[in-house]
Amino acid sequence: MPTMTLIQAINAALDEEMNRDERVMLLGEDVGKRGGVFLATEGLQQKYGPDRVMDTPLSEAAIIGAAVGLAAHGMRPVAEIQFADYVFPGIDQLFSQAAKLRYRSGGQFSAPMVVRMPTGGGVKGGHHHSQSPEAHFAHTAGLKVIVVSTPYDAKGLLKAAIRNDDPVVFMEPKRLYRAVKEEVPADDFLLPIGKAAVRREGRDITLVSYGGPMVETLKAAEEMAAAGLDPEVIDLRTVMPWDKETVLASVAKTGRLLMISEAPRTASIASEVTATVSEELFDQLLAPPLRVTGFDTPYPLAQDKLYMPTVTRILAAAKRLLDY
Amino acid sequence: MIQEKVRFQPFSSEPIRLIDEQGRWIAPFEHGLPPDRLQRFYRDMLAARLLDEKLVILIRTGKTSFIAPHAGHEAAQVGIAHALRKGHDWLFPYYRDMGLVLALGVPLVEIFGQTLGNAADPAKGRQMPSHPGSKALNVFTVCSAIASHIPPATGAALSMKLRRTGQVAVCTFGDGATSEGDWHAGINFAAVGRAPAVFVCENNRYAISVNISKQTASENIAIKAQAYGMPGYYVDGLDVLASYFVMQEAIERARAGQGPSLVELVVHRFGAHSSADDDSRYRSREELAAERQQDPLLRYQRFLEQQGLWDAQWANELRLEISKALEAALQEALQAGEPDPLEMFDDVYAARPWHLEEQRRLVAEELQS
Repeated sequence: MPTMTLIQAINAALDEEMNRDERVMLLGEDVGKRGGVFLATEGLQQKYGPDRVMDTPLSEAAIIGAAVGLAAHGMRPVAEIQFADYVFPGIDQLFSQAAKLRYRSGGQFSAPMVVRMPTGGGVKGGHHHSQSPEAHFAHTAGLKVIVVSTPYDAKGLLKAAIRNDDPVVFMEPKRLYRAVKEEVPADDFLLPIGKAAVRREGRDITLVSYGGPMVETLKAAEEMAAAGLDPEVIDLRTVMPWDKETVLASVAKTGRLLMISEAPRTASIASEVTATVSEELFDQLLAPPLRVTGFDTPYPLAQDKLYMPTVTRILAAAKRLLDY
Repeated sequence: MIQEKVRFQPFSSEPIRLIDEQGRWIAPFEHGLPPDRLQRFYRDMLAARLLDEKLVILIRTGKTSFIAPHAGHEAAQVGIAHALRKGHDWLFPYYRDMGLVLALGVPLVEIFGQTLGNAADPAKGRQMPSHPGSKALNVFTVCSAIASHIPPATGAALSMKLRRTGQVAVCTFGDGATSEGDWHAGINFAAVGRAPAVFVCENNRYAISVNISKQTASENIAIKAQAYGMPGYYVDGLDVLASYFVMQEAIERARAGQGPSLVELVVHRFGAHSSADDDSRYRSREELAAERQQDPLLRYQRFLEQQGLWDAQWANELRLEISKALEAALQEALQAGEPDPLEMFDDVYAARPWHLEEQRRLVAEELQS
């Protein structure tokens, strides 16, 4: 089985899907000759030609909007937004067109498309190359939202997103693109959208995270385990629709929930998960669910590492839960 | 289809016009259309006008919540509809295109169902009136967000080109739409990609209350095409045959692989912006009265009279026949009843995820209690 980085897994998923289905095509800024600024689409234009790996004008509205029309007409477009921070000029296309097309037409038209974007901090990108805007997407009915954290998941979920009949926002934590390698099957496999992964089984506390901070969450879990505790770690993988069943089953077992995300705190995925657990498991909780999140500030350059959830903050919050 | 010849020059300083106010054919070519076809244009324009009048009655009697009157746009809309290959080409309309979708063949029952927001609406009563759509006829369901349908029209046209389907995407919008970023984004990408698309501005010179002079400093809308590297045609949209022939040339040019065009059809808006608007607050009754003298139906009636194809008795019979069809369709739509309230949770996704199942159950319980 080949070992791959996350970015190589993305490339492999795109390659396989384009090879499998000639309706699958890529479009975005620099995705063609350049192979993408992070090289996610490297070599694909040479292989599939400029019509199926299309360099576009520098316009997110044109990229996402054209993907809507391509999809409605029968293609399976995968649009790349160069950084999640730059999706905003294309938001009307994503929110007013892609997300609502099936609904507003009464099911007559649909937009089966994927919008890929590098997300999150950790690369000294300042506030326009570091944000985690997944809550905006999750708050818009009609979109599915995936945030991956491993090469294996990236391949299986991207392939599933391309074959899905709904518009999917596919977020790739850029700090993980080349951070780890793992074995990824070379053959065709799909992972279910909306299904979390239990990364570590445990009995004392449930740590739930997704995307970039999975790294710090797993490190914190290791430190807790070294101290004789037994944490359970869940990677949501899909944040809309998120896997309530897996999270509730875990918290019902541990009685404690710590939700970790690097997106701003207020009105976040972390808020949604902790609120739901409070509503549904109130009488089984041993402590109030807590959140460790990014802050409600624009993303700062100098405090890049401090903004994202640190192992220290995760451990401190876990201690509060365990000592409650 | 290879085009026989190019009849029209882009970027004219005066609007392209084939029939003058007195109804005389003033073009340097023969129209070559058989009498029944010529009469069909009139029939479709009259149907569009009578539909508009019917919609006004529906709003005044409280049967619908909203309308966007299209009276004054009939020649432009019927010209566009006749130039498309119905059910083959795609139309990306905007909210003032009820006359256009009717001429294209969207059934009256669906039009009234959409207007009533009831079970006769193929879109299940989900949107405001004046937002039609039809998968069967490739009419991309209208979205209220101004100009947001322009990049999707470009995308569909790119798909048509990539897959060599021989189709064309025709996208209509008002003059206000030309100020939106999405308008630029979509038109620029279409030109770069040589997409088989025709972008059509139904320029009635008002974006609700804002006059065209506050919308653009350009001489006209068509001239904007020059900057995008595509032809722009400045057309008298009160002239149904000018609208038709220019649209046909632009559509067949796109179909032949020669790229997109921008067509500006200058029209009048005889009504207010919508049923929620009072246009006497911003335009004089004198101005409106003068515009009403330039009724597109009247001009075309004069033309047909000169060809011996129009008389009052024929027109009256036609009016009666259309009115009957309108009333019958309206009655049928009224019978359809309300949509199932639980349909609120359908079509958000291809299948309902758990959270929508939960929310749907909540409403179902409330309805049963």
